[in-house]
Amino acid sequence: MKLKKMIKKYFTLFFSFIILILLSNYTYSVEPEEFLKNKEQETLAREITKNIRCLVCQNQSIDDSDATLAKDLRILVRSKVKEGKSKKEIYNFLTARYGDFILLNPPLNKSTYLLWFLPIAFLLIGIYVIYKFSRLSKKL
Amino acid sequence: MVAFLGNTALLLASCLAAAQLFISLKIDKYKIIKYHKFVVLGLLLFTLISFFSLMYSHIVSDFSIKNVFENSHTTKPLFYKISGVWGNHEGSMLLWILVLSIFNYFIYKLYNKNNLIFVSKILQNQAIICLGFLLFTYLTSNPFDKTVAKFSNGLGFNPILQDPALAIHPPLLYLGYVGFSAAFSISLAALQLQDNEKINWNIYMKPFVLYAWSFLTIGIALGSIWAYYELGWGGWWFWDPVENASFMPWLLGTALIHSLITLEKRKSLESWVLLLAILTFLLSVIGTFLVRSGILTSVHTFALDPSRGIYILSFTALLGIYSLALFGLKEKNYNKNNFFSLTSKEGTILLNNIIMIILCASVFLGTIYPLAVEVFFKNKISVGEPYYNSIVLPIMIPAIIVMGIAPIMYWKKDNIFKILKKSIYPIILTFFITITFFYIYEKYSLAGIIGIILASWIISNTLIYLFAKIFLKINTNYSIGMTIAHLGIGLLILGATGSSVWQEEKIIRMNINDEIKINKYNVTFSKIKEISGQNYIAIQGNFLVQSDGKFITNLKPENRLYPITQIFTSEVSIHTNLSRDLYLVLGEGNSDDGWVVRLYHNPLVIWIWLGSITIFIGGLLSVTKNKKTIKNY
Amino acid sequence: MKINFITIPSLIFIFIVSIFFYLLLIDRDPSEIPSVLIDKKIPEFKTNYLSKNEIFISPENFSNRITLVNFFATWCKPCRDEHKYIKELSKKMEIEIIGINYKDDAKKTIKWLNELGNPYSDVIVDKNGKIGIEWGVYGIPETFIVDSNKKIQFRHVGPINKKILKNINLKINEIKKND
Repeated sequence: MKLKKMIKKYFTLFFSFIILILLSNYTYSVEPEEFLKNKEQETLAREITKNIRCLVCQNQSIDDSDATLAKDLRILVRSKVKEGKSKKEIYNFLTARYGDFILLNPPLNKSTYLLWFLPIAFLLIGIYVIYKFSRLSKKL
Repeated sequence: MVAFLGNTALLLASCLAAAQLFISLKIDKYKIIKYHKFVVLGLLLFTLISFFSLMYSHIVSDFSIKNVFENSHTTKPLFYKISGVWGNHEGSMLLWILVLSIFNYFIYKLYNKNNLIFVSKILQNQAIICLGFLLFTYLTSNPFDKTVAKFSNGLGFNPILQDPALAIHPPLLYLGYVGFSAAFSISLAALQLQDNEKINWNIYMKPFVLYAWSFLTIGIALGSIWAYYELGWGGWWFWDPVENASFMPWLLGTALIHSLITLEKRKSLESWVLLLAILTFLLSVIGTFLVRSGILTSVHTFALDPSRGIYILSFTALLGIYSLALFGLKEKNYNKNNFFSLTSKEGTILLNNIIMIILCASVFLGTIYPLAVEVFFKNKISVGEPYYNSIVLPIMIPAIIVMGIAPIMYWKKDNIFKILKKSIYPIILTFFITITFFYIYEKYSLAGIIGIILASWIISNTLIYLFAKIFLKINTNYSIGMTIAHLGIGLLILGATGSSVWQEEKIIRMNINDEIKINKYNVTFSKIKEISGQNYIAIQGNFLVQSDGKFITNLKPENRLYPITQIFTSEVSIHTNLSRDLYLVLGEGNSDDGWVVRLYHNPLVIWIWLGSITIFIGGLLSVTKNKKTIKNY
Repeated sequence: MKINFITIPSLIFIFIVSIFFYLLLIDRDPSEIPSVLIDKKIPEFKTNYLSKNEIFISPENFSNRITLVNFFATWCKPCRDEHKYIKELSKKMEIEIIGINYKDDAKKTIKWLNELGNPYSDVIVDKNGKIGIEWGVYGIPETFIVDSNKKIQFRHVGPINKKILKNINLKINEIKKND
């Protein structure tokens, strides 16, 4: 019994994370029964579910995950698509409950200004450096 | 007993690393070689003993050692017992140290009568790095820790890691990271030299950077191959923090190689190269920190342990402050002659450098931004694939366009019209290749068109240069190694574009004898049976693939259960040829309702791997050429 | 210009390293996601009681007292572990505890509650996990504290233990003071 407990302890310490991924690996992600009949709606639903993060498995979209919560969310998204809800409405519905964390593509707001604009700033700095170099080289 | 040996060797290695540092600081320069020979060889010897002690313990399954107990099992195949040595945190640190001391030895081999001071300073900096990692391993991640209880069997090995690509992935990756450590030490040594001791340090740095970069490339590629074969999502790159951690040093390393060429040929950008070498290695260490400390949550995260995180972060901070401060103090001695025409080879290299820096900064931003949001906004966000695809990919485009023509440009100054004139053949060839691809694959999208044009542009340019150089014997100013590496990039872009824009997917539930069509292939589910392997049992499906009635292959995907760890895995079955992969995954199911089957038609995937190998070969060819330069120097 | 070029990398480096140090040193669970529902009205939903033939309507059926909302299931092992702490909390006279039975079998739940004791003022049923999604639930068990204005004030993901119990008690006292 004691041995078993120890093994279990080691397990939870060192393997729990990997097991989580593995179990989510076993039965794969979106199942054929979930697909919507309407092709356009299905494409939209697929696009949405690929951008929604599976909250329990980290770095995986709910489309790729088989966690039960991911499945619930997939079904929910598809039922909303069927009701004729737009992509934006569905994202709003989900972020109102789970926060921005659930979106793999972070939305633009005051906490993400730097995330979206810094690369543009980098680009501008780069262009400035090139400009500076080429002007100086003409003088030489 | 063996554990004791390994542990003692590890401790002695730490002492020798400290001695190497001490000798570099204190000993008179004419006696230094003798002393250094002793400690460098000693360090190599003891890390080898330590490493092979651990390997031996894994092979004989000595479960009194915690590391073996937690990561191994008697039923594991021998090959994976060996690769299991570095399949865990502690063992991988030991491998890291081994590679460090091997490089340390190669640096020692650079000694000749003209460079005594310089090489002794490199060894001094390298000793600091060795010592830091040795103490980290010995104190916080000792692989020779004992277990108190007695066990007759280990906890087993994570079957998802039981894969040939992943088995050799860490050693290659570490050759990359650690190679950059040599560049780092050389950069610091160059900054430490007095004015009267000046030396052409860039000649020493270049082969190390080329080595490191080539191995990093192939290491990253193997990680991708593993993800593609083992994770079963049909993709090969996920912008996961662990992948980013290796991709960022790769980007900076790319910049470093190119600016080193400028420095060699034009004696400019000297201080820039020094900084870049420092940053590349710092980023490698920060990447290691991000992955090992568990500060980010990622699919690959190793065990979480705050004390390890604090140690390695403190070490990174020390290295960073030391090197950046040294750079800040000494940089002015090197800042000279940095201006040149944009329409010249060095101009294009400048562009390459700037774009690589922007890319690296953006990837870094995306990777750590969630942490910043957590600290400053008490909130959590995700930065996933869509962000990187929309930010990083467009920035690459100008770099790739320039890459096509840069090699044939002249140094100092070139004429735009002449370049355009020279580019007529590549442009025509690009046009034809692009048309051919779209004729074959018949699907259009903006991303697809851009990707294929860029890939064809690089491929046609490099093929024409190679043809001119090898068959027409035209004497040119570009090297074969570089051209081959560039060709590899072109092939890689081709594979990446093809597999993402033309991927087809079918997810259905199939019963025996059901048939499904994907692209031009008819796939029939012919049977399913139970099989057993060395340490697993599995159900194996058999799918007959035909095209126009002709037999193509049998795909045999498996769902495995590893009873020891109670872990289920799914083994993807793939049929590869030069134009496409057929990728089949067996999902859950039973004989009444049928099985869920995921079937992908992934065009051109093999070119991603062939491209990476081509880059690797190109890099190594350049190393051999540059090593000669040192000898002649 | 020249000074900038030299100092910028060092400044950025120090800034990033300090963020890392801060995150390593604070008590932090990297996998925890903060709730966005704090200080928001409780979600609207309708469902059945576990053992009464009536409909539970939120927010109408929430009382004007401080309420603990606990998502639990019989198939979840940690729920069994935290049960004794819920029982301890139920001894507090000033609060109500609503149990939401997440994706579970009614018969099993009744048996489970008979065996371990029923600390809940009401047990309602979330058959398909929809109510869980309304509350932003991602891991069972989860516990929320709702104040007398029917606003959510606190959320904990995972089983309650001694430390969390203390936090919950502190939070309840704080809410009481503000009322």
